[in-house]
Amino acid sequence: MSITIYQAKKIITMNPSNPEGTHVAVREGLILGVGSLDEVSGWGEYELDISFSEHVIVPGFVEAHAHVMAGGMMLLPYMGYFERKLPDGSTAPGIKSYEALVEALKLAESNMTDAETPLVAVGFDPIYFPDQPRLSRHDLDEVSETRGIYLQHASGHLATVNSAMLAENGVTKEMKIEGLGREGNGELSDELNGELREPAAMSTCKTGNRIVQNINQTEQALLDFGALACNAGITTCTDLAGFSILAPKLLSMWQEITDDASFPLRIAQYNIPAMPGAAAAFDEIADQFIALQKKETEKLRFPGVKFIMDGSIQGFSALIEEPGYFSGEDHGQLLTIPEQFADWLRPFHRANLNVHMHCNGNLTQQLAIDTVEKIVREDPWLDHRHTITHAQLTTQAQLRKMAKIGLCANFFANHLWYWGDQHYDITVGPERANSLEPCASALREGVSFSIHSDAGVTPLGSLHTMWCAVNRITPKGRVLGEVEKISAYEALRAVTVSAAYQMHLDHEIGSLEAGKKADFAVLEENPLTVEPMTIRDIKVWGTVLAGTKFKAACVVD
Amino acid sequence: MVGFTILGGYLGTGKTTLLNHILRNNHSLDGQPRRIALLINDFGDINIDAQLIESQTEKQINLANGCVCCTLNDGFTDALETLLALEPQPEHIIVEASGVADVGNLSQYGTGQELKLANVIVVADAETVREKANDKYVARTIQRQLKTADLLLLNKVDLLTEDEQQNLTSWLTELTDGVPVVPCIKCDIPLAMIFDLKHRDFSSDKTLHGHEHYQGWSYNSQKPISRQALNEFAGSVGQEVLRCKGLFANEAGGSLELQVVGKRQEITVHESVNRKDSQIVAIGMSTQLKPEKLNALAETLFIDTC
Repeated sequence: MSITIYQAKKIITMNPSNPEGTHVAVREGLILGVGSLDEVSGWGEYELDISFSEHVIVPGFVEAHAHVMAGGMMLLPYMGYFERKLPDGSTAPGIKSYEALVEALKLAESNMTDAETPLVAVGFDPIYFPDQPRLSRHDLDEVSETRGIYLQHASGHLATVNSAMLAENGVTKEMKIEGLGREGNGELSDELNGELREPAAMSTCKTGNRIVQNINQTEQALLDFGALACNAGITTCTDLAGFSILAPKLLSMWQEITDDASFPLRIAQYNIPAMPGAAAAFDEIADQFIALQKKETEKLRFPGVKFIMDGSIQGFSALIEEPGYFSGEDHGQLLTIPEQFADWLRPFHRANLNVHMHCNGNLTQQLAIDTVEKIVREDPWLDHRHTITHAQLTTQAQLRKMAKIGLCANFFANHLWYWGDQHYDITVGPERANSLEPCASALREGVSFSIHSDAGVTPLGSLHTMWCAVNRITPKGRVLGEVEKISAYEALRAVTVSAAYQMHLDHEIGSLEAGKKADFAVLEENPLTVEPMTIRDIKVWGTVLAGTKFKAACVVD
Repeated sequence: MVGFTILGGYLGTGKTTLLNHILRNNHSLDGQPRRIALLINDFGDINIDAQLIESQTEKQINLANGCVCCTLNDGFTDALETLLALEPQPEHIIVEASGVADVGNLSQYGTGQELKLANVIVVADAETVREKANDKYVARTIQRQLKTADLLLLNKVDLLTEDEQQNLTSWLTELTDGVPVVPCIKCDIPLAMIFDLKHRDFSSDKTLHGHEHYQGWSYNSQKPISRQALNEFAGSVGQEVLRCKGLFANEAGGSLELQVVGKRQEITVHESVNRKDSQIVAIGMSTQLKPEKLNALAETLFIDTC
C-alpha cells in the first residue's frame, strides 16, 4: 500500500486540534496525518509529491446547495450580463448590449448544421438593461426570421422568443394567457411581443422549452458539472433537489458516471420525495430512501431528503413575515400545508433521514422551525441536523430557537452580491437587506451554518461564496450589515466542515484529519491571509480527491 | 378542444368529495358518460369505489365509465401531456390543486392550444374558511384562492345556522368582490355547473334531478341575435345565474356562443358555423333564479327578422 506525502506551502486543516501543517500523508485515499514532514513520514515508505510546494492546501470545498444538472445549461449558448466560466476553463463574455446579444446569437446560429432545430440560449437578464425597451421578438427576428429562437432568462421564469418560434408552435395573440407578453398597452387584443412569463406561457413554445427541460438530463450535463466543480476546488457537492426517487431511471446514469475514476466529484444527493407542494405516501417513500441509501457508492451518497417550501424573494414568492415586502406585489407561495407538514416530515425523521428544507421567506421558515420542534418532541433524535436552506431572512428569534432544537442554517450568501441592491431598494428594504444571511448572528447564537451558491442560480465557486459572506458588498458598493460580516476562517468553515456536518458527513470529509478522505482544494494563495476583497480572485490549481490529483481546466503548468 | 377545470380549496374543504361525486355520476349530465380525466396529487386519498376500477398502474387508474385518474408525480406539464395523448382523448380535464396552490397560475395552462379553460372552482369549508383566511401562515394564500375562483362552493353548510350561513356568504361576497357562492352539503352540486351543457329543457332535465335547491331555465327561439345584444344580455344577468350556456344564430352570419360559470363569462364567435335557431339554458339556486325575469330579458335579446 503506497503512501504519498504532499508538500505544500501551507496546509489549513480546519481541525482545531491540529490547525495547520506543511505536509499531508495519504494512503489508499485516506489521510494518515497532517504536520511537518518529520511528523507524517513515520507511516512507512512514501513518495514525496512536491508539486504543491508553492500552493496552499485547504479541505476540498463542500458546496452545500447546488443543482448538479444545472451543468446542462452550460451546453447552451450563454447570453448573461456577467462573464461566466465554462467547464473547459474558458470564459464566456458578458453581454452588455442588445447589439452584442444579436451578434452572439447570430454567431451561435451560424454554427448550427441543420435548418430546423431551434436555437436555444440562456442567461439573459433584463434587470441589467433598465434603460432599454423590453427585449422583444423583433430584436430576435434580426437573428433569424426562419429558425425558431428561444432565449431563456437567467431567472428561469421568463423567455423571449422570435416570431418563427411563436409561429412554429401555433402561438397567436388570440390565446388568453396572462404570461404572454403584449405590445401596446398590454391588452389581450394586442400583438404578442415574444416575451413568455412563467411556465404556462413558456410551455406554449414547446419546441424551444423542451430543449431546455431535457438538456439537464444528459450525461454531458453531469460531466460538465464535475469539471466546473474541479475548477472551483470543490470535492463534494450537495445536489439539493435530486430526482432519484421521482425518476429512478436516471440513477444508473449517475452511478455509472460518478463511479468512473476520472469523475472528480463526490455528490451528496438530497432527493425530493414528491413534486413540490404535493402530498404523498411519505411513509412508503421514506422506505424508498432507506433502500436508496443501500445503493450508495464512494462518490454518490444519499444522506437525506429535500423539501421545497416556498418561492424566492426576488420573485416575491417567498412567504415573509410582517410587515411583508418593501415594494412590489406579494405572491408568497407556501408549498406545503401547515397542518400536514409534520406528517410529511415525521416518516423521514423517524427513519433517521436528514431533512433539508428550502425556505427563502422567514414565515415559511417559522413553519419549518415550529414543525421540527414538534417532531423532535415526539421522537427525540437530538442529533438530526435538519437544515433550513437559503434561510435568507432568518430573524434573531429564529436563530435562538434553531440553536435550541438543533436546526442548522445554510445561508444563500451569494445573494448579497447578486441581488443585494435589489433587496435593499425593492424587495425587503434596508433593515432586512442589512440582516440578510446573518452569519455572524448564527455564530453568536450557536447555530451551525454553511453558505452556498445554489448553482446554477448563481455560479459555482466556494471562494466567491466565502467572499460574499466576508465582505457583504453589493455591485453598487454598499456593505449590507457590517455587523453580520464573518472572518475568512469562519467563512472557510462554512464551505467545508460545517457543510459536511449538515449532511452527517463531517467524520469523513470537510477537514483534513487522520482517517478522513484525502480531499483537498489546492489554491495559489491563503484565503485566510489575503486582503479579504481578493478572496474570490484566488486562483485554484484544482483538487485532490481521495488522493488523486485533478487539475482545473484553465491551469497551465 | 379539451375542457379544463382547476379545482382549488384548502385542506379538508371537500375537493376529494367533489371528485368522487363527479366520477360516480359522470353519466348524469345527459345520459352519455363523459370521458373526464382527473389530475390528482395522490391516489391514496381519492378512494375510488373498487367496482368502478377497470385497470390500474402506479400512475394511472382507468375507470369502467371512461374516466381516468392520473397522479401529478411526473410534474404538471408532463402529466397534462400524458392525458392529452390518451386514446380516446378525454373531453374534460380537472386538476385537483394542492390546498395552497395558486389556482390563478394553474389556470393559465388552459391555453387554448389544446386545453380550454372552462372554470376555476374553489371549495370552501363553511366551518373553517374564515379562520383559515386569517391564519398566520396561509391567510394571503387562502384569500387569493377565494378571489381567483369563478365559482365558490361553500361546503358543509348543514353545520351552520341560517343566520351564520347568511353572514358568511356576505363576508365571502365582500372579500371576493362578488364571486358567486353556491351553498352545498358534501359538494353535492349538479355536475352541469362544471361541465359543458348539452341543450335540453332544464325544467325536466336529469342534471337537476335530486337537486331540489336548484332551478333550471331554458329559452329557444328561431330568431337571430346581435353580438351587441348578447354582450348586454351577459352584462345584465346577475349572480343569480350560476351557470349558463347559449348558442345563437348571429345576425351578421355564423353563430355566437355564450358560456357563464359564476363570474366567468365568455362569448365566442363561430364564423363558419351557421345556426337557424338560438337556444339558451341556465341554472341557479331556486331561491334566486327567477325564470320570469330571464324570460323577459331573453325576449329583448332576439331580433325580429320578419
